[in-house]
Amino acid sequence: MRKKQPRLVVAFHTTAGAIATERLCQACGMEGRLIPVPRIITSDCGIAWSAPPNLRELLEGKLQQAGIETAGLYDLLL
Amino acid sequence: MREKNWIREYGWILLTGVVVGVAALVLTSAGNPKNMGFCIACFERDIAGALGMHSAGKVQYLRPEIIGIVLGSTLAAAVSKEFRGRAGSSPACRFAIGVFVMIGALVFLGCPLRMVIRLGGGDLTAVAGLLGFLAGILVGIFFLRRGFSLGRAYPVRKGEGSILPGMMILLLFLLLAAPSLLRFSEEGPGSMHAFWGISLIAGLAVGALAQRSRLCMAGGLRDVFLLRDFRLLSGFLAIWITVTIGNLLLGNYHLSALSQPIAHSQHLWSFLGMALAGWGSILLGGCPLRQLILAGEGNGDSAVTVLGMIVGAAVSHNFGLAGAADSVAADGTYVIGGIGTAGMAAVALGFAVLLAVTLAHLPGKEEAV
Repeated sequence: MRKKQPRLVVAFHTTAGAIATERLCQACGMEGRLIPVPRIITSDCGIAWSAPPNLRELLEGKLQQAGIETAGLYDLLL
Repeated sequence: MREKNWIREYGWILLTGVVVGVAALVLTSAGNPKNMGFCIACFERDIAGALGMHSAGKVQYLRPEIIGIVLGSTLAAAVSKEFRGRAGSSPACRFAIGVFVMIGALVFLGCPLRMVIRLGGGDLTAVAGLLGFLAGILVGIFFLRRGFSLGRAYPVRKGEGSILPGMMILLLFLLLAAPSLLRFSEEGPGSMHAFWGISLIAGLAVGALAQRSRLCMAGGLRDVFLLRDFRLLSGFLAIWITVTIGNLLLGNYHLSALSQPIAHSQHLWSFLGMALAGWGSILLGGCPLRQLILAGEGNGDSAVTVLGMIVGAAVSHNFGLAGAADSVAADGTYVIGGIGTAGMAAVALGFAVLLAVTLAHLPGKEEAV
């Protein structure tokens, strides 16, 4: 099992929000991947976006620009 | 350290799977029908019958397992301060999808949970259901990837989220204090049940653990195909393995595609019924068990879905859509069960409705992200 690393986790109200974020980040060449939303964040079994923490500002800006609503951004060890 | 991480990531879900499996074995030993220790679809159908919503005399009993699952989830959510009233995510569509998920499940003769329990009993007819469920999930994922969404839920008052748990308390009161108001089967699967206290405790345990672990048959497969993540699926596998080992130890494992308890050999329609249930479950964001758990946590949309499934069960039996089990005639002839023309038409209609709902909720004129 790999060592845990700090990650920025973006939670969404819908799965479509997470999928749209994946598309957006792929189009912009931004690193990250879809993950099951961590249990520590919510009891929902949705999908979240995991990215390097240093991308927080850039990602927030891009999401706002694209009109993708988030349910929160979290700094976690994953 | 590595072991601790592994336990943290997989511990709850594996424990939940094992407890569900053991509970299913115990309930079967205590009186529930064979290979039906737990079945969300069958038990909601029995509840619909107990309330007089359909008149199929063999499937009427107010199953305390369902009450326990919802209230177990409510208690676990309340203790962990996760009980939140939420609603507003296309409730009418969820109701309709719930109706057809139930119709599909009853064509197969079981929800995804019973599908696993049937496989754990050696029932090879359930393989067609598993393949159909996988196919339905892949169709759902195809549309998720294209932006399908029923829209977000919004915070609502806790009272809104308490409706289904409240209804379950009322049903428990009816079962214990006013059973004369209910209908009870005198023969058939509805007449076979464990003592209500055992059923209720099993349901409470499963509900509480499933709330903590987020156990979901559809979500587990969705995560594997969409995210390459196996955590939720491990719960699904833990149930399968536990039930298989338990049945082998108890001498109840019969590896065969014939004469399985409450199962039929119309494999194509088992496949299509579970494909309908799988696709619908992905659109809903969870399998029938998960809908009960979410409703217990205060999700009003899931409560509406559960009500849709109960109505779907009533429709299935009032219009002769549900599958009939294979049987052996008096002269010893093996009679293949399955569904009739009405059931086939209902499955086809179900696919049409799911497609219409899906296309209406893809990104486009009305954004729902």
